[in-house]
Amino acid sequence: MDNNNDNILSVKNVSKLYGPDKNKAIEMKKSGTNKDLIHKKTGVTIALWDVNLDVKKGEIFVIIGLSGSGKSTLIRCLNMLNKPSSGEILYEGKNIRKFNKKELNEFRRNKISMVFQQFGLMSHRNIIGNVEYGLEVKGMSKEDRHRKAKEMIGLVGLEGHEYEPISSLSGGMMQRVGIARALANDPDILLMDEPFSALDPLVKKDMQFELLTIQKKLDKTIVFITHDINEAFKLGDRVAIMKDGEVIQIDTPEEMSTNPATDYVRDFIDGADKTQVISVRNMMVTPNSIVRKKDNLSYAIRMMRSNGVSSAYVVSQKMKLEGIVTIDDALRANKDGQTISDVLISDIMTTTPDTLLSDILPMAAEARFPIAVIDDDGSIKGIISKAQVLSSII
Amino acid sequence: MKKFISVLLLSVLILTLTGCEASTKKEISFADAGWDSIKFHNAVAGTIINELYGHTWTEISGSTTVVHEGLIKGEIDIHMEVWTDNIATYDDDLKNDRLKELGVNFDDNYQGIYVPRYVIEGDAERGIEASAPDLKTVWDLKKYPEIFPDDDNKDMGRIYGGIPGWEIDRILENKFYFNNLDENFIYFRPGSDAALSAAITSAYEKGQPIAAYYWEPTWLLGKYDMVLLEDNPFNPDTYQNGETELPAVRVTVGMSNDFAKDNQELIDFLSKYRTSSALTSEALAYMQDTGSDYVEAAKWFMSEHPELLDQWLNTKDAKKIKDSLNK
Amino acid sequence: MSAGWIYNFPFEININLKAIDDAVRAFSVKYEAFFKVITKSLGGLVNSINFVLNKIPWFVLILLVFIVIWRTSNKISKGIIFSSLLFLVGVAGLWNLMNETLSIIIASVVISLLFGFPIGILISTSNRLNKAVRPILDTMQTMPVFVYLIPALLFFGLGKPPAVIATTIYAIVPIIRLTNHGIRQINAEVVEASLAFGSTKLQSLIKVQIPQALPTIMTGVNQTLMMAMAMVVTTSMIGATGLGMEVLIGVNRIEIGRGLVSGSAVVIMAVILDRATQGLVQRSEVKTDGQ
Repeated sequence: MDNNNDNILSVKNVSKLYGPDKNKAIEMKKSGTNKDLIHKKTGVTIALWDVNLDVKKGEIFVIIGLSGSGKSTLIRCLNMLNKPSSGEILYEGKNIRKFNKKELNEFRRNKISMVFQQFGLMSHRNIIGNVEYGLEVKGMSKEDRHRKAKEMIGLVGLEGHEYEPISSLSGGMMQRVGIARALANDPDILLMDEPFSALDPLVKKDMQFELLTIQKKLDKTIVFITHDINEAFKLGDRVAIMKDGEVIQIDTPEEMSTNPATDYVRDFIDGADKTQVISVRNMMVTPNSIVRKKDNLSYAIRMMRSNGVSSAYVVSQKMKLEGIVTIDDALRANKDGQTISDVLISDIMTTTPDTLLSDILPMAAEARFPIAVIDDDGSIKGIISKAQVLSSII
Repeated sequence: MKKFISVLLLSVLILTLTGCEASTKKEISFADAGWDSIKFHNAVAGTIINELYGHTWTEISGSTTVVHEGLIKGEIDIHMEVWTDNIATYDDDLKNDRLKELGVNFDDNYQGIYVPRYVIEGDAERGIEASAPDLKTVWDLKKYPEIFPDDDNKDMGRIYGGIPGWEIDRILENKFYFNNLDENFIYFRPGSDAALSAAITSAYEKGQPIAAYYWEPTWLLGKYDMVLLEDNPFNPDTYQNGETELPAVRVTVGMSNDFAKDNQELIDFLSKYRTSSALTSEALAYMQDTGSDYVEAAKWFMSEHPELLDQWLNTKDAKKIKDSLNK
Repeated sequence: MSAGWIYNFPFEININLKAIDDAVRAFSVKYEAFFKVITKSLGGLVNSINFVLNKIPWFVLILLVFIVIWRTSNKISKGIIFSSLLFLVGVAGLWNLMNETLSIIIASVVISLLFGFPIGILISTSNRLNKAVRPILDTMQTMPVFVYLIPALLFFGLGKPPAVIATTIYAIVPIIRLTNHGIRQINAEVVEASLAFGSTKLQSLIKVQIPQALPTIMTGVNQTLMMAMAMVVTTSMIGATGLGMEVLIGVNRIEIGRGLVSGSAVVIMAVILDRATQGLVQRSEVKTDGQ
């Protein structure tokens, strides 16, 4: 076994079948019969088939697929709400399928918790009553669990609402309660089953942002289910794509979008908004007219003319970007005997290589020159033109 | 498909129509007040009427009061057992000509408080000892409240009284107070005659003591060996107050006014219809023993007692019935 | 007739009814001691409830009804109307009879809840069990009461104990059905959530499923109570005293006035009990609405 220490969860050869004659179905599946035919012949539904994946400690692992692809079944196997028909699920090397009732409850109480699509909140309890539920069942004293619950309610931005009934909350607030409840147990792993798909787009965006913030702060491992490729690529460190109960590809968003394993994956990704996936690094080009600040203007003019561009980037030592000169300014100043510094436009737009294209969209729309890409110490890494940014939307 | 269904429906309709006899014959409704003997008499009279006149017959069921009202309203044609004492308004109804009283079916019936014989004499065969050997009269009960315990009240005995609504219920309650039984007994209304007979049956099968109102002719008193407790000699003036034994009830045959208008031949027959409590019990016991239904019992009864047919019918009609029985 | 078989069954089987009769009777004799214990305890239960009810001063009960109806309906006027109706029952001289009836009702409802609630929970956990129990429940509700009333007499004698049993058989059905239904209709994610946080089955049941199903269960309590009220007159036919017996006597003797007055008292009782428990339903709904 390749028990990599980084892996907090490992799913090995997990299958889940529903129905009467499972052995027959397994045989048919092994001989390559398709899922619908198997169901028709044997009445067996194959919900999961030979799923293998590893979740690394501290990452956001996204599982994406259409409805019926088995993603909800899979996430429920991770805390044994669904029991796999075969295979192993290892948590820190221990097979959770072998847990007895008590061990399973301990695991659920302390190590793993879950956030639900329809929130799964108990309407007969108020906010704090919901948040402290997991602490209550493990027998924490009322005082302690109240304190902890309040802390979590604060974390998700609901302080002051502790004693409000669930029915008075908006969807976004309800899911904040759901997240607070899941965090209250201080679990290692957070399972999130399409947590934001019931929310309207604006609220969804806020929640995604907040989830990232919380994850950074608390350093939880998150297994996140979604059917929204944009959400998957935005949140996921790694993404697994599922179809008909099987995992087709597991990769980073960028790798997946550049190297889709199958046509299915490609089609799936085509639905994605690439600006959400692709960072500036992938699209930037090396600027072909760079001049140093101490160069004379005629050199800069010659450079621009030979490259057929109307502006040049001005750098100082170690390629530190100082600004830009345009060809018009350069020609005029050259006549007047001025230097580059006199016509340097230092107030220009910049971005970093890791910025997502989607984030520089507004900037690109206004840009008069290509946007300069600089790294942390200010040195120029490349440029990205308005046209390049806008074309990625299409 | 539609066509098929309509053809099917049509053929069913035709079959049904041809199955019906075009008939001017009547359907006669008898009162069924719920007990066995009235159904037996319905079967006897119904069988004879069907044989002689071709009328079919049916029964309309209800409580004593309901079937009595039905007779007055004309919804019931013939009532073979009007227990006159059990209907509070009977004399009044008769006086105001609300129904026809054709004759007396029987008037040799007993009713009153019964106890199983083994309570007094024991039953060696069943291993039951006599629990109240000196119990003879209604007022003797006072000595034995613990023998007939009431489920709800410790220290009190229970006497199963009349069915609520029957005239006898009032008389029995008066009797209860007249004999000062209220000191250590509860007068318990069984609620319905089914409940009353179930209570007696249950006690008898278990060999337990029970003191309960019951009446003849019934299969129950035919089947179980029960003793009628003695009372003061009958006095028509005071029995209503519960002071004396109960009279044998005049059980009459009644007919609705509407029906009486144009069924003279049936009035002639039923006016002469007369049996006795003993004869009726005999037939009911036959039913219990053989498991036969009322009509079978009626036919058996008529072939056992051809002399009754001679009394009820003219010679020609009596012969017709006898011939049909021999078939 | 050659086509006789079209309208008549070609053959009939003689069911040995007498054997059934004899078997039931033999059974009642054989297990007499067992049935006696049940009879005694049921009688004791009804009598002690009746004893307590009779110890409550009439004005206290009227005041109680006023407060309960007022609080549950939020209308003083309703409180006044219903407590005055109850006052009328007392004025009509039916107070003690009402207490007798009420004690049978309370005993039956308590027993119904005691058994029906756990049964409802049990069958909510298993589809197979649910399928098996459903026809039994249907039978209990549709079987003519007298069919089991009379055998009940053989086992439990006449009076209040068999009345409680007959009433329970009839009234237990809604609480079983609605408890089952209430638990089954809970949002699946809510139950999953309770399990996902490491609740034991019992914790999930007590802390989540039952509270979530409470409005439906309360409707079941209300329905059970109403069904029990519906049996009041029927059970008087097996000797259960109280308002039902008054109605029965009135009806059997065609004493219309007597039947009407005692019948109205039954209606007043039913309406008060209905409103009071409806109030409970609404309160539990307020607590669990939302999702």
